[in-house]
Amino acid sequence: MSTRWFGQPIPRVEDERLLRGAGAYLDDLGHDALAAAFVRSPHAHARITDVDVSAALDVEGLVAIYTYDDLPDRLAEPLPLLIPHPTLTHGRTPYALARDKVHHVGAPVAMVVAEDRYLAEDAAERIAVRYEPLPAVVGIAAARAAAHLVHEDVPGNLAARMTQSTGDVDAALAAAPHVLSLDLAIERSASTPLEGRGVLARWDAEARRMRIWSSTQTSTGVRAAVAAKLDLPLVDVDVITPDVGGGFGVKIMHPWPEEVLVPWAARLLARPVKFVEDRREHFVASAHERGQLHSVRVGFDDDGRLLGLDVRFWHDHGAFIPYGLIVPIITSTQLLGPYKPGAYRVTFDSLYTNTVIVTPYRGAGRPQGVFVMERVMDAIARELGLDRTTVRERNFIEPHEMPYDHGLVFQDGRPLIYDSGDFPASLAKLKQLVGWDDFEQARETARAEGRRIGIGLACYVEGTGVGPYEGGHVVIETSGKVKVATGLTSQGQGHQTVFAQIVADELGVPLDDVEVVTGDTRRFGYAVGTFASRAAVMSGSAIALAARAAKEKALRVAGDALEANPDDLEIVDGVVRVVGAPGAEISLGTVAVLSNPLRYAFDTAAQAATQFASGDPAKPPVPEDDEPGLEGRDYFSPMQSTFANGMHAVVVETDPDTAEVKILRYCVVHDCGTLINPRIVEGQIHGGVAQGVAGALYERMAYDDAGQLQNASFMDFLMPYASEVPSSVEIDHLETPSPMNPLGIKGAGEAGVIPGAAAIASAIEDAEGIVLTSMPISPSELWELRRSKETG
Amino acid sequence: MKVSGEATLHAPVDRVWRALNDPAVLVRTIPGCERLETTGADAYSMTVTAGVAAVKGTYTGEVALSDKKEPHSFVMTASGAGAPGTVRTDVRVLLDPAGDSQTLVRYDADAVVGGMVAGVGQRMLAAVGRRMAAEFFAAVDDVLSGKEAVPAETAAAPAPPAGVFSAPAPVAAGQDTFLRGVLVGAVVALAGVLVGTAVGRIGRRC
Repeated sequence: MSTRWFGQPIPRVEDERLLRGAGAYLDDLGHDALAAAFVRSPHAHARITDVDVSAALDVEGLVAIYTYDDLPDRLAEPLPLLIPHPTLTHGRTPYALARDKVHHVGAPVAMVVAEDRYLAEDAAERIAVRYEPLPAVVGIAAARAAAHLVHEDVPGNLAARMTQSTGDVDAALAAAPHVLSLDLAIERSASTPLEGRGVLARWDAEARRMRIWSSTQTSTGVRAAVAAKLDLPLVDVDVITPDVGGGFGVKIMHPWPEEVLVPWAARLLARPVKFVEDRREHFVASAHERGQLHSVRVGFDDDGRLLGLDVRFWHDHGAFIPYGLIVPIITSTQLLGPYKPGAYRVTFDSLYTNTVIVTPYRGAGRPQGVFVMERVMDAIARELGLDRTTVRERNFIEPHEMPYDHGLVFQDGRPLIYDSGDFPASLAKLKQLVGWDDFEQARETARAEGRRIGIGLACYVEGTGVGPYEGGHVVIETSGKVKVATGLTSQGQGHQTVFAQIVADELGVPLDDVEVVTGDTRRFGYAVGTFASRAAVMSGSAIALAARAAKEKALRVAGDALEANPDDLEIVDGVVRVVGAPGAEISLGTVAVLSNPLRYAFDTAAQAATQFASGDPAKPPVPEDDEPGLEGRDYFSPMQSTFANGMHAVVVETDPDTAEVKILRYCVVHDCGTLINPRIVEGQIHGGVAQGVAGALYERMAYDDAGQLQNASFMDFLMPYASEVPSSVEIDHLETPSPMNPLGIKGAGEAGVIPGAAAIASAIEDAEGIVLTSMPISPSELWELRRSKETG
Repeated sequence: MKVSGEATLHAPVDRVWRALNDPAVLVRTIPGCERLETTGADAYSMTVTAGVAAVKGTYTGEVALSDKKEPHSFVMTASGAGAPGTVRTDVRVLLDPAGDSQTLVRYDADAVVGGMVAGVGQRMLAAVGRRMAAEFFAAVDDVLSGKEAVPAETAAAPAPPAGVFSAPAPVAAGQDTFLRGVLVGAVVALAGVLVGTAVGRIGRRC
């Protein structure tokens, strides 16, 4: 295989179109559509006693108003529990429109359809809903106390309790020379893509077919959900993902209420209908993540080696749990990072609160788990007076121990077995990159200038490329152009670029001749979705296999035409040629023509493929084991996830007066296996680091006791600007290829965010000499910690 | 869909009864009614021009009164059809003296709406129905109280055929055309077609 494109840091082929403003996002579509707006609950928990729409009738341009009572059949049932689990004994999901009760601020109560969004909002504003407020359960403490219940039939607000263990933790802790207990918290945050959710639906009444555009991370998931809810044959529903302005996890959730209501209304009204979420709606009606409390006991020997680790944590999943237990399961398994924990036991409770639901947000439970484990590592180092890197080194899984079986079950239901990684090598790279061993000198220099600086690090392992499968389709057209399709979606990852790089190499065609389409069920109907850093691993592998199938056929057809053994052929720049025989060649486009026996010649090239011009008269035009056309379709379905890993080190400066935290350096060593495009991987790391910094220092969901989200806007929710994100992220790669797929790749999409809070906490702690147990941390919180330390 | 409500009219029960059974009154009090023709005993056909904003449609329907217990109750069965849909409803109307020469009118309607009319949401249909009813009874009350005169016979030429009643020239169209312009049966029954108008507009723009 040529490696001409694979591994090259080429610019993204998407960028010119997007930077010129030629992208087509959801709200760029459907200018002829009616607009939907929603009446949403202002209460965190309340009974609905009346909905009076009469005042809305005065809004000219009003078309329809729907409440729960209008919903027919399966649309009137609760939305699906997407990922059931045996321990999820009390799973509750919402109705598409609230029935009798609302369970969080922002819950949809009525849907208004009007000629445009202004009118729809005017009408929505005039709908008077009468509520009888009920006590709200806000925060993990209130959920655990269960003085009030989110759902009357869910005792203790407990949806699930799950335990996994390996070894005898109680015995290990009892026998350990040292035991520490830590209580650690991470607050809620959210994906906050710049483009919120949105859906457009067109019902073709004559063909009785539904076409939907959704800003989603899974077009096939939306398709299946809509077909089921609206009782439509799957083949009569198309779901197309247009350009998507970020997902970060929130858009893997499906179907959102709007994703089934909008197509339903479009069919009912026989007009296209569109819903585009606004920013406040995104804060209160989409999804959050991260909110967890952890209580840890760790036993270790005099060298700092883990002997036993007992973790109990509580996960706040909001008012409903449609996405199941994925996030806490990931925390409970990925908490282990690159370490051997000795005996390990983890138990979590997943709790209902009267707040927005949880879906995975980039990192998906790992930032919490890594925070816990890395706080433990730092605590052991502090307890024993060891260097923080030394404690980590002593607990690493060694390269010769790969594949390493933790004896636990991962989020995909498969064993937690690390396939690859060289943690000591990664740490050595990181120490060198950041200058770990020379830092004391820098600290002294700064101190002499009256400045406080600190250094921290954090390590993680990330299961990526989870199954069950993805597929790819590669067709070589008679023009010689190559059209590639895969079912999963893109939200800015650069799939069009990296998949084209793979295909260009596999087929031996110019990159410019390859065009990639993602997330369009008309082009590829079988897919899972884009999440869990799986697109490159899953679709990349599937597309490579599909391209190989297309190439094999191309060589066979070309071999017949050139009277050569296919083994003697190569494809270079889109031309099939006999190795070592100059002039004996045929273009791929011509091979495509020959691959499809014709009765009708539509142009000069096609004359070569007509029944009078080609073929073996002793065989049928298309032999029994063959098919017309030059294409390949294949699927990739691995036995388990592949585990990427990385380590971050950060140097911070804390202001002696204001306690403001400034990041001076941010260093990343990253192992995502073989790199398809280093530029894109680095871009992913940059974005991830920005979100990691956000989660460490700025972003949180400020709920009050009544369940009102007090910072539901970009004025108040502190998404970091360019000025808060490190101006440069220093990156070094280690490439340990994954044995789990044909390209040796591991996922890279989420990595950058995962150790952010842990590494920055470690650095602030190092600068201040104050133990941090909760993130994010604001300057005022750090200032208060200083004050309580001073006052003892 | 069930819609119920009540109204107080400023006249004794027997006068209210007569008004509600007088086509000359009905034609000018049923919102949007242009033409009302007697087709039999207690049976009428009607034409209603229904309008929303710039788009209007014409709808036809029939109304029949039955189970009359003068002057206390009757059942009105109304059906209407326009391009976008149909409505059929039974409305039970009860009249009770409310003291001081007033009458309490109570109605209970059970309507079946069909076609795309049904697609705009029950609460909206019901709200429209209630508002139409309120407007109708207000108009009847105006007639009863003499604010609005009903000519004994149609004076202007050309004279319409016997049994045909025409509405006076329509009042200025505007925002409330949406509300006034849509009734096909009487009172509440017309809600469905009112909404049908909205949907009819949808059909035309597709």
